[in-house]
Amino acid sequence: MAVTSTRDEIPPGTLYMLVLKTLARHGELHGYEISRAIEQISGDVLQVEEGSLYPALQRMLLKGWVRATWGVTAGNRRARYYRLTADGRKRLAEELSRYGRVTEAIQKIIQPA
Amino acid sequence: MFRELWRRLEYLLHRRRFEEDLAEEMRLHLDLRAADEGSETGARVRFGNPSLFQERSREAWGWTFAETLWQDIWYAARDLNSSRGFAFVAVLSLALGIGANTAIFSILNAVMLRSLPVEDPARLVRIETSQNSSYTNPLWEQIRDHQTGFSGMLAYSATRFDLSSGGVSEPVEGIWVSGDYFRVLGVPALRGRLFTKDDDRRGGGNSGAVAVISYAFWKSHFAGDSGVIGKTLHLNRHPFHVIGITPEWFHGLELDHGYGVAIPIACDPILHADGSWLDARSTWWLRVLGRLAPGVSLKEAQARMKAISKGVYLSTLPPNWGANDKKDYLSRSLNVLPASTGFSETEKNYRAALFALMGVVGLVLLIACANVANLLLARAAARQRDIALRMAIGAGRFRLIRQLLTESFILAALGATAGLLFAFWGSRLLIRLLSVTGKELEFDLSIDAHLLLFTLLVATITGILFGLAPALKATRVSPNQTLKEGVGSAAPSFSRLNLGSALVIGQVALTLILLVGAGLFISTVHHILHVDAGFDTHNLLITNIDVLAASVPKERRSGLFADMLEALRRIPGVSSASSSVLTPISHSGWNQWTYPLGKHAASLEDENVYLNRVSPEYFHTMGTPLLVGRDFSARDSLAAPKAIILSETTARAFYGTESPLGKLVGMENEPNKPRDLFQVIGVVKDAKYEALNQDASLKTAFLAASQDIEPWSYVSFEIRSRRNPEDLKPRIRDAITKANSNASIEFRSFETQVNDSVRQQKVVALLSGFFGLLALLLAMMGLYGVTAYSVARRQSEIGIRMALGAQKITVLWLVMRRVWLMLALGTVAGTAAALTLGRLVASLLFGVKANDPVTLALAALALGIAASVAAFLPARHAASLDPMRALRNE
Repeated sequence: MAVTSTRDEIPPGTLYMLVLKTLARHGELHGYEISRAIEQISGDVLQVEEGSLYPALQRMLLKGWVRATWGVTAGNRRARYYRLTADGRKRLAEELSRYGRVTEAIQKIIQPA
Repeated sequence: MFRELWRRLEYLLHRRRFEEDLAEEMRLHLDLRAADEGSETGARVRFGNPSLFQERSREAWGWTFAETLWQDIWYAARDLNSSRGFAFVAVLSLALGIGANTAIFSILNAVMLRSLPVEDPARLVRIETSQNSSYTNPLWEQIRDHQTGFSGMLAYSATRFDLSSGGVSEPVEGIWVSGDYFRVLGVPALRGRLFTKDDDRRGGGNSGAVAVISYAFWKSHFAGDSGVIGKTLHLNRHPFHVIGITPEWFHGLELDHGYGVAIPIACDPILHADGSWLDARSTWWLRVLGRLAPGVSLKEAQARMKAISKGVYLSTLPPNWGANDKKDYLSRSLNVLPASTGFSETEKNYRAALFALMGVVGLVLLIACANVANLLLARAAARQRDIALRMAIGAGRFRLIRQLLTESFILAALGATAGLLFAFWGSRLLIRLLSVTGKELEFDLSIDAHLLLFTLLVATITGILFGLAPALKATRVSPNQTLKEGVGSAAPSFSRLNLGSALVIGQVALTLILLVGAGLFISTVHHILHVDAGFDTHNLLITNIDVLAASVPKERRSGLFADMLEALRRIPGVSSASSSVLTPISHSGWNQWTYPLGKHAASLEDENVYLNRVSPEYFHTMGTPLLVGRDFSARDSLAAPKAIILSETTARAFYGTESPLGKLVGMENEPNKPRDLFQVIGVVKDAKYEALNQDASLKTAFLAASQDIEPWSYVSFEIRSRRNPEDLKPRIRDAITKANSNASIEFRSFETQVNDSVRQQKVVALLSGFFGLLALLLAMMGLYGVTAYSVARRQSEIGIRMALGAQKITVLWLVMRRVWLMLALGTVAGTAAALTLGRLVASLLFGVKANDPVTLALAALALGIAASVAAFLPARHAASLDPMRALRNE
């Protein structure tokens, strides 16, 4: 099965960081809002099959990085809202610093001084 | 970490809600996206495959292994449900196999493995000598006073007390106990108080004659009345004060039955008025136990006990014993052995039988396993395409084996569950069968950890045993080939057929072993029951009488018993009556060194003669013919010469072909007293003394009741009636009570007494017969299945043969030849095994040898016929195939 996509695939493992960062910025969001937020920030560049957000969210729930409560959307539909926990905040910091180290290293390789 | 686990568990418990929440969330996403994009399809493309994400989310929670397991179970259950006939047969055979094993094991568990419900049973030890396990009271007192290494010691003796105040006796299980008995065992009082050392003081404690009762006795006799403490209980018509009740869980140390009443050993003089046992140095009646002191090992306790042995025996030496016996007495030494499981007569008597039965049910289970394995093989063959298909689309072999084994374990688990139920009533039924009239066994058969573990283990092993080989076979297929060929036409895989045949051969062999065993046990019972017992058991009522020793002095007893006998003979319907100190086949005996005067036998054992003391007409009443000489009569008074009647075996052993009449027989009494001399006045036909299957060379002789100088306070009357002796009971009771109102009476049918003595053999024969038939049935099913299967596989071959002109008989022969070959191989293997195993049960047989050729031949014949019938049905089906249709099935 060939997948044709005009958008770039999201680097593996970065999805958690993106979700955590999004939640850190916006507070409480439901799944679609998270997806939209990532989309807007990345300006449609970084794209992923939207559905893959959900297994990731489940894994984060299990790890205790996010907490979820059921609420109601503007359109009066039931939706699950996710919020960062203290553990999640810690995790975000770790992910960011790791990401920083990795990109720095890559930068050095592709732009030799 | 823990919180994560907790969340996982929460997920597991609310899986459905989690799934629904997730689905709703994704639906919302899709709807909102569709609204934003204006296209539902676009939204779907962007989102991806929702079920895939659902699946991945599920994986996130880490229950996938459990879930595939659940899937396997679900799949297997659905599969089994669609072939209910197979499932039913498989579960039933396993349930019977596992149930039988669990039932027998639950009895083994109760008598051999289960710990007593007392404080720290592992520290409880019993003191035994190599000679016997009981002690005289002087020995017990010496051990108790000199022991080191124990935090406490106890002695007890199981007995029966009579609660009646005369008339028909009301027996209750009783125990004589030492003062420390309850304290050492760690049994607290439920009400009142239990014994102290003071209660067990010689001459009686401050509280006088006291008794402690069990919870069961409190409920049954006092209806649980809380005011029972201080009440009076009459034991053998002597008053005792109830001072306490033991808790519900305490039943004493005997496993076969609980106790009702306990009294201190020091109360002995009250009940043994003829002579107290407290100072008797040759009366062995007490069991001795101890609790190891903290820090003392069994080995150390043993060493310390050995150290005091010499002194203990030296200070209790019976003065009137002969020099040799004294030397033997002083050489004894005390051993310390674990006692955590308690004591059981049943264990002693039935040990061999229980192990034999355990072997029998083990074989039955193996046969059941072989059967189920065969069924699974046939099923796997039918599902070959299905399996090949699944392998073709990428299922791993391991995954498929796991799937097939899941099915096996479901069968095993269902079988084990049903088996536990079978075992539950099976073991109770067995206990009822083993119980002897008036002495019901009261084992604690409740399901415990041992039993559950055993069943679990058996079920697991069974599951692997019957499941693994078929699963391995079934998945060793080449998907390509199997899918290309039709099921019916696939060339028979020889290795699979061989596995099936091997299973059938094994089944035949095992079944033959069981049939031979059943034949031997049944023939044993037949021989015992048809042995010439030397007496007539029908319409004979035994009436055991006990008068109060303290109220009837020894010199008046013979007269009293003679008067009673006269009164009994006058009762209408009584054709004859007699008295004796013992009745045959009653578990009691009396033997003495006896020899013809002037010639001692070669060895002491040859002089061992079993005795009874009987009234005139005893032989007539019992139906034992007098061969020569005369019966006892009024002539044989205390003043007349002492008379003796010999059995024919005794007479032959003593005098050969000479006439024994008038000859003198000597008898060793106590070593320092002059020997007794008796004159032979008659010879009677041999009659069984202790058991129907006793040694034929056992020597017996009879003395005259009227020449007894020191009669016991109890006696047995044999009453033969013309009709049902049950009807005579009221008149007998009246006659005896009239002669002595204190006498207690116990009735027994002689027929019951004799039948009870062969209870063990009957139960073993019954069960081995039952299991033999079961095995035969299973083997027939197995053979039928394998033959039907092979006929189905060879349908086209048979069709071609018939099209080419083969006769029906040729086709029949084609199929049956194979069956008979398997049968022959199985029979040979089974015969060899039966001959080897036979030696293990030789001690349980009577009148038949373990390698009895007739039994072997009959068992093989029965098996051959049954197996041929089972295989003939599918063979006939094969022979009646329409060749055209068989070939068209291609």
